[in-house]
Amino acid sequence: MALATGVACQYIQPAAIPQSSTTSTLPALPGQQTGVFTTARPTMAAAMDDFMNRRPVYEQPLDFPHNIHAGKGVECAFCHDGVDKGPAAGIPGLRTCMICHDAIATDRPRIQQMAALRDKGLDLAWQRVYGFSADDHVRFNHSPHIRAKVECATCHGNVAEGTVAERNVDHTMGFCVNCHNERKASIDCLTCHF
Amino acid sequence: MDRRSFIKLTAVSGTSAALASCGNPENQFIRFLPDEDIVPGVAVWKPSICPLCAAGCGLTVRVMDADAEVTRDGQAGIKRIAAAKKLEGAPAHPVNRGGLCARGHAAIQVTYHPDRITQPLKRSGDRGTGQYEAISWEDALAEVVSRLNGVDAANPRAVAFLSRVGAGHRSALIQQFAGHFGGSPISFELFGDDVLRRANAVSFGRDQLPTVDLANARFVLSFGADFLGTWNSPVAQSAAYGDMRRGRPGIRGSFAQVEARMSQTGASADEWVPARPGTEGVLALGLAHVIMAASLQPAAAAGRAGSMVAGWGAGLSDYTPQRVEELTGVPAARVDRLARQFAELRPAVAIAGGAALAHSNGLFTAMAVNALNALVGSVDQPGGLSFTPQFNTGSALKFSPAAQPATPLQMLAADALSGAAVPQVAFVDGVNPVFTTPRAWRVREALEKVPYIVSFGSFLDETSALADIILPDHSFLESWVEAVPESGVAAAVASVAAPVMRPLYATRATPDVLLEIGRGLQRPLGAAWQTFDEMLGASFATLPSTTPDVDAWTDAQTKGLWSGVLPAGLARQAQAVADGATYAFEAPRFDGDAKQFPFHFLPYPSVPFGDGSTAHLPWLQEMPDPLTSAMWSSWVEINPTTAANMGISDGDVLEVASGHGSVRAGAVISPGIAPDVIAMPMGQGHTMFTRYATGRGANPAEILAPVTEAATGALAWAATRVRVTRIGPPDGSLVLFAGGIREHLEQEHR
Amino acid sequence: MARWGMAADLDRCNGCGGCVVACHAENNISTVGPEQASRGRAKHWIRVERYWEGDFPDVKLKFRPTMCQQCGNAPCEPVCPTYASHHTEDGLNAQVYNRCIGTRYCANACPYNARFFDFFNPSWEKPLQLQLNPDVSLREVGVMEKCTFCVQRIRGTQTTAKTEGREIRDGEIQPACVQACSTRALVFGDLEDRESEVSRLSRSPRGSKLLEDVGTRPAVTYLARLTEEA
Repeated sequence: MALATGVACQYIQPAAIPQSSTTSTLPALPGQQTGVFTTARPTMAAAMDDFMNRRPVYEQPLDFPHNIHAGKGVECAFCHDGVDKGPAAGIPGLRTCMICHDAIATDRPRIQQMAALRDKGLDLAWQRVYGFSADDHVRFNHSPHIRAKVECATCHGNVAEGTVAERNVDHTMGFCVNCHNERKASIDCLTCHF
Repeated sequence: MDRRSFIKLTAVSGTSAALASCGNPENQFIRFLPDEDIVPGVAVWKPSICPLCAAGCGLTVRVMDADAEVTRDGQAGIKRIAAAKKLEGAPAHPVNRGGLCARGHAAIQVTYHPDRITQPLKRSGDRGTGQYEAISWEDALAEVVSRLNGVDAANPRAVAFLSRVGAGHRSALIQQFAGHFGGSPISFELFGDDVLRRANAVSFGRDQLPTVDLANARFVLSFGADFLGTWNSPVAQSAAYGDMRRGRPGIRGSFAQVEARMSQTGASADEWVPARPGTEGVLALGLAHVIMAASLQPAAAAGRAGSMVAGWGAGLSDYTPQRVEELTGVPAARVDRLARQFAELRPAVAIAGGAALAHSNGLFTAMAVNALNALVGSVDQPGGLSFTPQFNTGSALKFSPAAQPATPLQMLAADALSGAAVPQVAFVDGVNPVFTTPRAWRVREALEKVPYIVSFGSFLDETSALADIILPDHSFLESWVEAVPESGVAAAVASVAAPVMRPLYATRATPDVLLEIGRGLQRPLGAAWQTFDEMLGASFATLPSTTPDVDAWTDAQTKGLWSGVLPAGLARQAQAVADGATYAFEAPRFDGDAKQFPFHFLPYPSVPFGDGSTAHLPWLQEMPDPLTSAMWSSWVEINPTTAANMGISDGDVLEVASGHGSVRAGAVISPGIAPDVIAMPMGQGHTMFTRYATGRGANPAEILAPVTEAATGALAWAATRVRVTRIGPPDGSLVLFAGGIREHLEQEHR
Repeated sequence: MARWGMAADLDRCNGCGGCVVACHAENNISTVGPEQASRGRAKHWIRVERYWEGDFPDVKLKFRPTMCQQCGNAPCEPVCPTYASHHTEDGLNAQVYNRCIGTRYCANACPYNARFFDFFNPSWEKPLQLQLNPDVSLREVGVMEKCTFCVQRIRGTQTTAKTEGREIRDGEIQPACVQACSTRALVFGDLEDRESEVSRLSRSPRGSKLLEDVGTRPAVTYLARLTEEA
């Protein structure tokens, strides 16, 4: 039975590991919730970083205030405009900022800084804080999640009350699969990994 | 590349937003502001046209966001662009109807090729060495203009323009440009169809390749035409072929192929008929003889096409099945049976092309096949051949017709070498004659005599490396493209498409450059348009719109094409050629003594590379050849019995020598080739053509004899005799995807 | 639940190889170059096999486009120690790269030679990587890869159809090879739907499965090239 669930790509929480499972005989790895070891990492160090969920510190070009924008009633999808159109929400570039900020708050130093950047033909070099590494082989698509009325905050935390985006939620496979199980969404491997 | 840098590359290039990993060092890079708003991860589909052969298949291009590495004012950075991701056949395009061949799929690698020329270049080293230095567009164009201002206006051969064959707007502009200096563009295609065009002009008054209604044919007889692989409009013909076989309930069209070496098309035939090289016309007339002798059709049914063949009215008494067997090697009984099939399975159609017409008697062969078609009433009938009405771009643009016929390339070369007429300036657009012509023509040496050569090439190849200045064209995805198909579709079609993406580099569209040069001349070209798209707009505006309330130009841009009924003045006129001559079989002339050179040499267009112009695309290099599964290689095809007699095993290195040179490649022992024929695919053997093709394999054109078709002067590329010598055991240069030529003898699986 | 399958009409196929390059373009299959290709490391998820019959001059050649047959009883699946190769509910042989540890047992077990091993990390010389399809993973060194029936297109169309609140239309999902095929030799669809074209063709008297007798129950049906009957 355990073999069958493995085949169906069931993600097994430690507590839920049945005693008969072959995987249960393996000790759980640090930072990983099952004993199944996944090799697909470039180096051992990268694998360790991944399994221990160690992530680099992000330095963003601008201390973007999500809270001010959300507080003024700007919807997430207004700037992250890919989210209801396709797989990627998108990290808005300066062109998006300047749709409003050509007219709004033009006297603020930060906005003037942005305008100057644009005049030089440069964009904001945002760093992605969410997203899967190439080795994860995850083809995530926002649109079915939006259709299923998953709140942005479910996966991205309470960005609306923070300033610049930080990774508040860890997108482990357990995180995804639990929700898929709760909502009876497919947990076949080929739902996400191809 | 090691793993770490690969990961970095994929992260940096952001193959998708989702792919880019957390914490990748994006902040180490400068991001440039994109030129347009792009929704990430969402594909947009745009029409375009495949540029890799003359068929003009319609494309649908998938365009998505991608992060390109760019350099601006010396500053390296990342810029989000809307990038072409994949080429697919346009489902609504009447030529290819959603299909696309291997070459078409790989065309996208032209745009993203790592060895593309990214800006204008001026030669800094010796010709042919590929040493160039950067030059600005302004300086480059000024230099070209001053050279052109200096040419002798009274000499119609002072400017030579080497370009592709074509009936589109780009060709019309080149025609006009060359005509401005009193000349005509010189086009040479190794596997060109000049002989067939001439034959159609003589037989049917149409100087054009035929469109074959395969889908409605019951019996197809092809004389050497690789119509499913490389000849004419292969995707259109393949689509129709599928329908011929299985598109009609209860009817399965039959198909026989006459050729001495089994082509990809021959492999699909029900019956493969190897005839002696150069005798295909005899077989066609043999069939006509049987049909007339058995009173299946009267001689008069062939009309004009029949009357052009000597002895037609008398029932072709010289072409009895016995006589045909003597000449062609095809058994008399088989001639008789094929004739009856051809007359009785209606509609039946015969196609001539490829090697069958590449002999000194090629025109006769084509005329014989035309007469055979006419005899059974297969001209301009369903299931037969017809001629696509063709948009005359020259008249739409009110261009003056060509001042004089083009100088054949071999004459240009000979006159340049002898000093009789050396062009002062030569332009090269989209052709590589140094590679595709017989070494015996000495085109390279001739071009070296030309004091100033301008190339519009996107890559350094054997010809563009001789250029003094290179003005790189946009890729087809970056520019306005258009095509006026000569064949492959019943109704008149003119395709057009706007650029799919912004140019990656500091290149310029060649038609725009020609217009700009034309404006700068002391005696200006006098074109009414600033840019090529204005010119296209003017041309399409002359066509009747096919959608109510939308003008033809707007409509064509939306659909990617115009198709309909051409107004009288805008159709290419049928031109009857009446030379009063009749055509009879003359033994084909071969270069080389049969004792010293015992084999017929058959170079053939390769499925992935054609004449070699697409050998720089890595997908095509690694695509297994349909008949041999060879990749990244050249090879020599030889009959198993011949090979056994000569002690040749699979992969052995062979030398193939003609009276004009020799080439070496690994042996492929192939059951589908006559014992006295040696075949080699064209395409490899480039001495300079990007990192993927340079120094790989051998170029069979090098050893071709300069024999021409007697009536048209076209190169008879199948008229060379060779000898074969085993040099040694396999040297590893021949790479097969499957283990050997016979995958395994199939136990018929049902 | 759909069960995906393909039919290949060998009477239409003319061996042109359009499917081979279309597959490379769609699925980010890297080229390996001549040296590695000569060591048998070229990757072609779909290939056109050739079967010569007879000797000159009575020679016949038959083409057969061959890809992963997405077996119903797949020999590659039970041999995989990590369940990287497993069966999905809609009848696909999934290859989950994350799980693959590169034992290559599956490739040994596959009677169709449909599986290809990544001996190297793929490389695309810049800017060839701009062409890469973001809908398909890049496979790294040490994993097996093979035809997926263009699962990214299946999943994409399923998402679209669900968003639009409708069923998937027959013929709406076209793997890249099917879409490319000029002669319409390849047909893809749902075998559970008795009315679908693929299921109609799969029931054809000309139909058979490749190496049927080894009991793999392929999802691909080949329609024989028969000259005698229409």
